Amino acid sequence: MLEIQSARKVFYKGQADEKTALNDLNLRLETGEFGVVIGSNGAGKSSMLNAISGALVLDSGKIVINGDDVTAMPVHKRAMRLARVFQDPMKGTAASMTVAENMLLAELRANKRTLRRGLNPARLAAYKERLSLLGLGLENRLDTRVELLSGGQRQSLSLIMAVGGSPELLLLDEHTAALDPRTADIVMQATIRAVEALKLTTLMVTHNMQHAVDFGHRVIMLDAGRVRLEIAGAEKTSITVPDLIGHFSVKTDRMFLAS
Amino acid sequence: MDFLQNTIASFISLVPVTLAQSLILAFVVLGIMIPFRMLSFPDLTSEGAFPLGGCVCGVLMAAGMSPLPAILIALVAGFVAGCCTAFIHLRFRIHTLLAGILMMTMLYSINLRIMGRSNLSVFGSATVFDWVPGLQPGFPASKIVMAGAFGLIVFALLLHFFRTEKGTAVRAVGANPDMAEAQGINVWLATIGGVGLAGAFSAAGGALMVQSQGFADVNMGLGILINGLAALMIGEAIVGKQSVLRQLAAPFVGAIVYYQLVSFCLAAGMPPPDLKLATGLFVLAMLALPSLKRSRGPAPARETVRE
Repeated sequence: MLEIQSARKVFYKGQADEKTALNDLNLRLETGEFGVVIGSNGAGKSSMLNAISGALVLDSGKIVINGDDVTAMPVHKRAMRLARVFQDPMKGTAASMTVAENMLLAELRANKRTLRRGLNPARLAAYKERLSLLGLGLENRLDTRVELLSGGQRQSLSLIMAVGGSPELLLLDEHTAALDPRTADIVMQATIRAVEALKLTTLMVTHNMQHAVDFGHRVIMLDAGRVRLEIAGAEKTSITVPDLIGHFSVKTDRMFLAS
Repeated sequence: MDFLQNTIASFISLVPVTLAQSLILAFVVLGIMIPFRMLSFPDLTSEGAFPLGGCVCGVLMAAGMSPLPAILIALVAGFVAGCCTAFIHLRFRIHTLLAGILMMTMLYSINLRIMGRSNLSVFGSATVFDWVPGLQPGFPASKIVMAGAFGLIVFALLLHFFRTEKGTAVRAVGANPDMAEAQGINVWLATIGGVGLAGAFSAAGGALMVQSQGFADVNMGLGILINGLAALMIGEAIVGKQSVLRQLAAPFVGAIVYYQLVSFCLAAGMPPPDLKLATGLFVLAMLALPSLKRSRGPAPARETVRE
């Protein structure tokens, strides 16, 4: 379960270009719930994800994950509880390290790292099996440096890395936006399979309205740093793309293109 | 013909001495490689940590301490120096190179303070090189054996460490610090520890050097960084850097080959003052090679260096 309690963040405070990124934002995501966050550029989606992951320190307010207040925890401590897939495939993986080493780093996210050998045969076999689920042939490229993979392969690897070990919270930050439509579809299908199989509590930011309609239990629309609209239950199942776009106060070209 | 014969003869007679020297300086090359390659933290601390290790070791030996504890204390001093550089970078967001320059400048005064004068003779004190059985102390062979043994131990330990779970995490910090942090790795701890370790190796090199040459000098670090960098480039050109094993072997191979090259140049009659220019041009050429290879287009915007 994720709770954001009156989160507030102001950039450039007291200056001419002061900007309120999060304006007393409140959000609650139940355990096992899949929330889809939409909103125009500058609505506070990225700030919210950064606040949850710890990359952004709040001016005031609280972040609670499964009942524990994590507001004061640095990024690497929160990593024990949450995993994140970034929009940029470069960001979520270590380019100069091999596929297997990246998998190892992800496996150890929630564990204590020891002075025992990292990549042992048992682990390599397990990684092979998990990667084969993607059907991209990554299981045969465990010793390949990640920088030699395509963007789609890297993003798929990031996803496998993130969902491994069943994090208490999965954050997806427009994770298919930088991919071509076909690859985006593969990554999205893999995401849904993993989230459903592992019943992960998930928060996905997207500009793709079709994804917002098709996936998730609840659509959360942000505007000017707060939740403007929530659609869940029967209403969520019957909503269409034009309905969603109609709710945007600022309609950007990007959203029309994405729909 | 005569010239060639003379050159080769004097080169060959210098091989053992040069080899002993290069095995000691391999520690400094290691101290340059670890931050540069494993942590993407281009670091200049070694230029100050090397004489720091020498000065600490020299003072302790002059005070009658036995050689091994003197080296260990020098090692700790170098570790602290490296930690300081990393901390300056992380805490105050000062560029790594500038943090290193600050540190090595301050270390110069500290080294002078430690010794109380600019050089100190420890000739005649017991050294670790006396401990090699069956060899007469003071000859290159004992230095080669001792420094080589230390080098092998350090190499084996590092090779094991960088393949462990913790070691992989440290390498991840160099590969992608944001990703490392998101995977639960404490970037501060890994960076401070890693750069500290590098400082410790540079200082150990300085301590061994002092025991080898019989005196400590505050200026003994002058230009050591560029020598080390040249050695590293040569080593990487020979053994590569695609795996942990190769990356760790590069400093040792590079140090051995580089100092033999230098010795050959000197034997061939190159004036010693020109050596730094030649080394600098060589490092420049090695660093420029990839961008020259990449066709005649404009130079790449910039290399990804952590700021």
